[in-house]
Amino acid sequence: MEKMIPVDRLARPEDHILVPLDKIREARLDQGLTPFNAMPFEEDFLKTRLHGICAGEFQAMEAAGRTLFDFPDAPWEFQLDMARQVWDESRHSEIYMKLLDYVGSYLGEFPESEVLWSCTQIDDPACRVAGINRGLEGLACDVFEQLIRMAQKMSDPVIERAVDYVLADEITHVRMGSKWMRKLTEGDPERLRKAQAFQDNIDNLFNFGGGRTTQEGAAQIKQRLGDKEVEIDASLTIAREARLLAGFTDEEIERLIKGMGKSAAY
Amino acid sequence: MPDLGNRANVMGPQPIGPIKQPPPEMMAAIDRFLAMLMAGNRREALAMTDERARDPVAHIAGGIPPGVFKQMHILGKARVAEHYFVKALLSGSRGESVTLQFRIGPEAGGRWTVREAVDLTDVRSAWTK
Repeated sequence: MEKMIPVDRLARPEDHILVPLDKIREARLDQGLTPFNAMPFEEDFLKTRLHGICAGEFQAMEAAGRTLFDFPDAPWEFQLDMARQVWDESRHSEIYMKLLDYVGSYLGEFPESEVLWSCTQIDDPACRVAGINRGLEGLACDVFEQLIRMAQKMSDPVIERAVDYVLADEITHVRMGSKWMRKLTEGDPERLRKAQAFQDNIDNLFNFGGGRTTQEGAAQIKQRLGDKEVEIDASLTIAREARLLAGFTDEEIERLIKGMGKSAAY
Repeated sequence: MPDLGNRANVMGPQPIGPIKQPPPEMMAAIDRFLAMLMAGNRREALAMTDERARDPVAHIAGGIPPGVFKQMHILGKARVAEHYFVKALLSGSRGESVTLQFRIGPEAGGRWTVREAVDLTDVRSAWTK
């Protein structure tokens, strides 16, 4: 079986619409919207956010499986961790499919982009866990923590608890990533530097043009979610507490915060 | 979608929002656009196309022999705000087929126009680089 399979070989049902991220951005710009994800003031905000996460969970499941397959000589414990992650992500996919149903959406209502899978094109397991487990799952901690706070404001225990269960796993995945990035690069500072640089690229890519803020600094905006109008963060925030639990250092979190507004990605 | 459990066992009213249905005007515009492509009516197909998508639509229309494809089937659609990506299969009586994916959006006057188009016939998905 082929290793490092490219994005266009990822199987999806025929009725799914797959488009590169750039095309989604073009479609949004064409409608006078921001080029990034749906913003909190948009009608579809909750649906598109849950949909993006659901598609990400599927790709995370596939990516962990491919990492397990692509590096048969990696330590046995590493392979066990990746296998466990496949299992976790499959449960997350099911949870988010149910949440989509819950908010009046379904998997496939919005297009799926290729971003997470693109991270599997790197041929070093240390870079993979740096980019996916620390970069993308770190971002997931931010997104999930914010969703939990929104659900609390909506007085919605379904979303609040479901996302909290998933967040607990994501924290474990980040810790796994930190452990293996360190272990796999032991005695090889150059390899560690490359893994960190790969993660930095991911962090920059998802810096959303400097549109992220600290929790305390987030402006509030009114949004109708479910049957309630609540005030929610107007931007994506950084979940300091969840990131500390996940093993990010204060210095790393500060770097993320200082990185806001100077992203080179956009 | 597989059955993921009994909804009645879950807390709270469900679902908390309605599913947004595609506008009938958009569905009608898709049918019209595909019918024009199948009929080889390139000029009319281009009349429904935004300036930026004229080249790919002209290329796709040029590769479709008039009258060969008899049936159209919408394989899938997904939206970004008010715009829809649509994947469609055109098929003929001898097993010929083409798969197209395009984005269609409303203009200020309510007219729906094609904003981009890609021929997916020989590729696995639009993710193909």
